Amino acid sequence: MPLPRLQSVRVLAFVVWAAVVGCRRGAEGDDSTFPREQTVYVGGFQWAQPSSFNPLASTPDWPVNPLTAQNLFYETLLVFNTLTGEMQPLLAESFKVGRESVEVVLQPSARFSDGTRVTAHDVKYTFDLGKRHKSLRVATVWPFLDEVQIFDEMQGSEGGERVVFVLNQKRRNALVVLDSLQETHILPEHVVEPLLAAAGGDINQFTKLKFDDRPVGTGPYTLHSYGAEKIATVRRDDYWGNEVFFGGKRAAPKYVVHPLYKSNDHYSVALQQGRLDASSSFIPRIWLKQKKGVRSWYDKVPFFAPSAMPVLWVNVSHAPLNDVHMRRAMAFSIQYDDIRELAVSGYSEPVKPGLILPFGFEGKYYSEQDARQYGATFYDPKRAQAELVSGGYTAIWSEAGELLETRDRSGQRVPTVYVKSPAGWTDWESAVRIAVRSMRAAGIDARERFVDASLYYPAGFTGDFDLLMGTPSSPPTPSKPWSRFDTVLSTQDFAPPGDKMYKNLGRFNNPKAAGYVRRFDELLDQIPTLTEPAELAAAYRELNVLFMQQQPVLPLVYRPDQFYEFSSRVWRGFPTAAHPFLPPQIPSARMGTRILWHLTLASASARVE
Amino acid sequence: MFRGLWRSVGFLFGCALFFGTLLLALLAPAFMTLDVGRRVGLAYMPPSREHWLGTDHLGLDMLSLLVLGLRSSLYVGLLAGSVATVVGTLIGVYGGYKGGLLDDVLTVLTNLFLVIPTLIVLILLSGSLEEGRSLTLIALLIGSTTWTWSARAVRAQSSSLRARDHVALARINGYGTLHIVLLHILPYLLSYIFMVFILQTASGILTEASISMLGLGPYDSISLGTILNEAIRNEALGDGAWWAFVPATVLVTVIAFSLYIINTAMESVFNPRLRK
Amino acid sequence: MLQNHPTLKHVFGRAGWYFITFLVAITINFFLPRLGDSSPVDLIMARAGSNLDAATAREQEETYLLEFGLVQTDPSGKILRDSAGKPLRTSLLAQFGRYLELSLRGDLGTSILQYPRRVGDIISAALPWTLALQLPTIVLGWIVGNLLGALAAYRGGVIDRVLYPIALLTSAVPAFCVGILLVYVFGIQLEWLPAVGGYDEGMLPEASWSFIASASYYYVLPFTSIFVIVVGHQAIGMRSMCIYELGTDYVKYAKLLGMNERRIVLYMFRNAMLPQLTGLALALGAMVGGALVAEMIFSYPGLGMAILTAIQGNDYPLITGCTLLITATVLVANFAVDILIGLLDPRIRSGRPSAGPTGGDTSQPGAATGADAPLMAVR
Repeated sequence: MPLPRLQSVRVLAFVVWAAVVGCRRGAEGDDSTFPREQTVYVGGFQWAQPSSFNPLASTPDWPVNPLTAQNLFYETLLVFNTLTGEMQPLLAESFKVGRESVEVVLQPSARFSDGTRVTAHDVKYTFDLGKRHKSLRVATVWPFLDEVQIFDEMQGSEGGERVVFVLNQKRRNALVVLDSLQETHILPEHVVEPLLAAAGGDINQFTKLKFDDRPVGTGPYTLHSYGAEKIATVRRDDYWGNEVFFGGKRAAPKYVVHPLYKSNDHYSVALQQGRLDASSSFIPRIWLKQKKGVRSWYDKVPFFAPSAMPVLWVNVSHAPLNDVHMRRAMAFSIQYDDIRELAVSGYSEPVKPGLILPFGFEGKYYSEQDARQYGATFYDPKRAQAELVSGGYTAIWSEAGELLETRDRSGQRVPTVYVKSPAGWTDWESAVRIAVRSMRAAGIDARERFVDASLYYPAGFTGDFDLLMGTPSSPPTPSKPWSRFDTVLSTQDFAPPGDKMYKNLGRFNNPKAAGYVRRFDELLDQIPTLTEPAELAAAYRELNVLFMQQQPVLPLVYRPDQFYEFSSRVWRGFPTAAHPFLPPQIPSARMGTRILWHLTLASASARVE
Repeated sequence: MFRGLWRSVGFLFGCALFFGTLLLALLAPAFMTLDVGRRVGLAYMPPSREHWLGTDHLGLDMLSLLVLGLRSSLYVGLLAGSVATVVGTLIGVYGGYKGGLLDDVLTVLTNLFLVIPTLIVLILLSGSLEEGRSLTLIALLIGSTTWTWSARAVRAQSSSLRARDHVALARINGYGTLHIVLLHILPYLLSYIFMVFILQTASGILTEASISMLGLGPYDSISLGTILNEAIRNEALGDGAWWAFVPATVLVTVIAFSLYIINTAMESVFNPRLRK
Repeated sequence: MLQNHPTLKHVFGRAGWYFITFLVAITINFFLPRLGDSSPVDLIMARAGSNLDAATAREQEETYLLEFGLVQTDPSGKILRDSAGKPLRTSLLAQFGRYLELSLRGDLGTSILQYPRRVGDIISAALPWTLALQLPTIVLGWIVGNLLGALAAYRGGVIDRVLYPIALLTSAVPAFCVGILLVYVFGIQLEWLPAVGGYDEGMLPEASWSFIASASYYYVLPFTSIFVIVVGHQAIGMRSMCIYELGTDYVKYAKLLGMNERRIVLYMFRNAMLPQLTGLALALGAMVGGALVAEMIFSYPGLGMAILTAIQGNDYPLITGCTLLITATVLVANFAVDILIGLLDPRIRSGRPSAGPTGGDTSQPGAATGADAPLMAVR
């Protein structure tokens, strides 16, 4: 058979030739659409091929997604500085929180990419969309608003236009409104309304539009191209903010590109090889990567600035978890140091009792004394045993020292407590394994149960779990720590297991059941209305003590809401704890976009080795 | 005939390899303490005198994990291999002997399973199983999707035996189908079926490793596949922790390799046409 | 009429069986993923609904259920409800009917997870990468493997003693382990070759030399990881088949007649190739699904990951769309080989047509592979 042999030789020769040529060309990196010295590569926000850049879609892709607070295409009125806990200007020049309203003054020079001015009408339109269409994300602020008013334009003559957000009289809560101001992308009415009208006013039809052809936004970058391998954005040289914030300077890189890799470890490899400049993916053992130029906020433990609190949700609607002794025993039994060192690679301050972060802008509400007195989030086997004894529990061990079962006061076997967590989320999986190991060592019959993500979420909403891994209200926003408490404790729309609840997954503090603690709800209502710092601190302190006494969820560890890793191989000028001119955020999210104006090339002829 | 087997270097070598791993899995607990319930150090500590194969990402002793994983993988392989062989043999022998419409139906069934890629079926099935993808369940799933090949192979054998004199004689004597299949056909196929079993076991072990690697492995046990999966997802590659994935790779390969060698050696003994 | 055209009759007969197999297969493909009772809408709601109040969340959920045809409606398009006000779910059978109807019109539906992308668009965007990676690798591996196998069988001696164990060993390594080791050694430790992606991040797919060069460079590791294994498998099968053919009566007879060695080899090669062709068809058919491992390890673009994420997220329309494609390719590949073998080997055409696809298989006594054909070759 001479024919196939000849062909195979030819094909083989071609492949070898192509590979050799490819090697040479690959190393040169010429002829690129995105030259390395004009491009910043960011990663960790997205894994799958993009499907929609529609700012009103439920989960649009990078860099439009409001859940990860991306600001490249569309911008918000304000941005939240997680370092200082302050709101800073973006499309709004300034803002004022009053008893009855939140008032915002717009930047007079803010422009959409089609050249039209950003007016108070656009702002009102954007927020009013949420009144018309309940499924939009911006609708969530409306229970707390009466209306959005455009302030008399004559009176605002000395500066920009004014917009007033009038708070709802019954549920006065400026915190939720502030959250919304730093999250809601302002949209051009003159673009959106005609499209919405063309869709017959049906928002579900409208959200099928992809907005991938020259989208009109206010942001410094716009869509260049996208596909299964990357999403590319290109700088808008006429960005209005250049004058206002940066003295007329443009952002340094012409392109910001998000390559789409399929797993976290690929972002890690790319970062180590200098092919990625910044990433918000979870990269374990980052100290091993420092020699390859990978850096984070701190150069030493804990490496990152934690802002979120992964917990085990506790379903208190059945035994044994309806027993506070059991919940506190669990809290005392967990080896938090192991979770911190191994599951999250040490990227956390040691966890402390309560639902308030003991540092950062929440730290002022935290009381060390209360934590010592009431808290159970310490690893303390003796106190775990004491709680189990007071709850009447006994552990039955095998000859070999393995836990067989836990029995209650009446000698009945306590059903095994399963910890549900999504399969494949590595840091959570590890945390769950350690927590289960700890609880079993204390004589509590717990087991891990990893389920597919498609089963994990419904299990949470319908209360189909014993313990469930989760991070309540993760993003750092102005409403913290109130919104974390609210997500854990809210009894609004209380539903029995089987029906869906999107907050308070553990069904804690049923208002209709005996033993309802009204004080929780009172404090949750009260805190957003308080403006006096001393009153606020006292209220938080009381709420946190109540939380510690009842232990409705089990905090495990702290971690950043978005990781912040960067490589200085190609671009220099990323903020760090030593040079904290901006918070640790990736240059497409929140205030991180401003990093783009501070970047300089590491060398005149930047090359990836 | 069996004497030929013991003279075959390949057969002895393969057996030595396979039973070596089997002994390691069964006897290791007698010589060492297998402890995977307790961290013994930091993440990915390199091999040391205390921990011959270092630690995994949770600081657990890698050697203990590996021995436990080996036990699970052998269990999955043998169980899946048995199921695939038994189901395949029954369908193959019966269809091959009976012929006619029944044979056609069975062949369509076989080919149907053959045409739908096993891996996809496995992923679909294990994705829709709500809770407890246990090790045994995974083994049964593998077995019940890979039997097609055994059925095809055995069917060919069986239908060739059909025309043999002793079978025809039995038929003339009025023996029932079951009797003939059990006493006059199966015995002639035993060595062949055993070879089928060996190959099915090897493919069972490899398949388990593959689906565990995709993150669809057992939730309740450690297998060689889950060890590999954990190592990859927890950046053993990036951190240079070769001890987290090379030993497991070697073990899977050695088992499959030894089974292949045994099979080859047996074939060249039992199937004279393959002797050079 | 067909009686006079045995070849045509053979083709039609086969086509009929394939069609039946196809119908059964797509039925299985449709129902298998839907066995569990979880709803894909829950996943969308998890991302979108966590801040909505209960009434709006319910309303929004019903909008999605309606969109994906998961609830029953009256003729005016309003959702039918039970006495408690909960929407009535569409029965699986009704969903299946709707699916068949739409599929016949070429409409594979809308992806749930990647809403509002069309399933057809997702598949056509990913398919070229899968084909580009798998097709040349499998065909080339098949050719090289068969040549090596034949070489080992004919030459024997040292070549066989070296090649054969190596081939056995490579086929004993799990597919993804080859990829992992390659990435570890060449991608991460030595940094000779890129470990991640399909081409340079700085490029967009275009018809330029620099793009082709970059794509080839990134192609090396994924290619090698699959190639090695295909070669191993094929070489083993071919070697066994050739040894088997060497022992057949016709070869002995031909040698006795003093026939030209080259011609004997040619005949043997042809006969030994027949089962190998079936193997090629199966491999080509399975390539869409088999791409998964390489795509995962190298973040290579393609269909495999689309399927996996679809399955993990219960994205029913995408799952069914992908499995439809897979089933179709497997069947078409088998059908083609079936016909081809029928043409090459007249014994099959004239013999009793065996039921079902993949003819020329071991089910044909006296056909290319007899009852005593080597196990490793028919596997």
